[in-house]
Amino acid sequence: MNNTKKPNFIILIFSVLLGVFMAGQFKQNIPILAPVTLRAIQTTKNEINVLNKEIQDLNKMINDKEEQLKVLESIASGDENIIDILIDELEKNRTVAGFQEVEGSGIVIKMQDNMAEGAFGEEYDLDIVHDIDVLRIINDLKGAGAEAISINGQRILSVTEIKCGGPIIRVNGKGLVTPFYIKAIGDPKLLNAAINAPNTYSYALKNIDQINIETTVEDNIKIPAYRGRFNFKYAKPIKEGD
Amino acid sequence: MFFALMGILAGVVIGLMLPYTYNAAYSLYISVAILACLDSVFGGLKANLENKFDTSIFITGFFGNAILAAFLAYIGDRLGVPLYYAAIFTFGGRLFENFASIRRILLFKRKHKSNE
Repeated sequence: MNNTKKPNFIILIFSVLLGVFMAGQFKQNIPILAPVTLRAIQTTKNEINVLNKEIQDLNKMINDKEEQLKVLESIASGDENIIDILIDELEKNRTVAGFQEVEGSGIVIKMQDNMAEGAFGEEYDLDIVHDIDVLRIINDLKGAGAEAISINGQRILSVTEIKCGGPIIRVNGKGLVTPFYIKAIGDPKLLNAAINAPNTYSYALKNIDQINIETTVEDNIKIPAYRGRFNFKYAKPIKEGD
Repeated sequence: MFFALMGILAGVVIGLMLPYTYNAAYSLYISVAILACLDSVFGGLKANLENKFDTSIFITGFFGNAILAAFLAYIGDRLGVPLYYAAIFTFGGRLFENFASIRRILLFKRKHKSNE
């Protein structure tokens, strides 16, 4: 009797213990644990960064709007004249849009065809400055944070085309000939690096195709205003709330 | 069999009523330990049916297996190798073996009785 009862009793006790453990596990309400890979961590990090950036931008926007609100309040209370404020705003917008002559530190790039006799590759095509060369250099300048760019006095804007026109290149509908003087306002060091650093496009142009590219860093460059007119026929602004 | 089931049910009820919890970080170790305990209980049932039950073997197995399994899972976590698989496969496999033996013994007993 005792022999058969005792094991059952012990098993019962330990089963209870096991049940208690199990209940503890049940109470955890464990979510499904997916293995976290390094890639997932990286992705999440990126997402967090993007979100933080967004938050920063939004905060900036809030500050801007608050400033605007202050201006409007001061108008309402009669401290400032609305015409002055509007003129200020207009000046700012004209500068941003490129309708204002601007000056500042930057670099001047002179590009000229390869004039040497025994030209590279014995092919004229490789010795001349093409529209695409200018375009790429301007793209590099923009990438380096150039705030205003002009070629031979033609302001480069979002609508500016740079097209091959045979012996000339066409910019803003005007024909330009070599030598091309590209002026760019921005951080001179960065702009210089974008043009002269090894493995940039213009570095290759200079050292492989032997195109004459000279850059000078200057403290005070004047870049003229855009002289054309914007006439948007098709693009219409979307009103907020539409 | 009956005792074990009753015990587990009673334990779950008691455990759900007790207000204790533990850190969620240990849940993997605990779950592996539970598997080891479950295996020990099944082993005990089988031994009991075969009349070979030994209390000290059962108790040391119950705690020893659980601690070893949890420790293995912990070491595996530290080394970056999922060593708890070893515990899962061993105890899981043995669980089914034990259950198969218990089934056979019970069925055999019943047949024996009906034949008599």
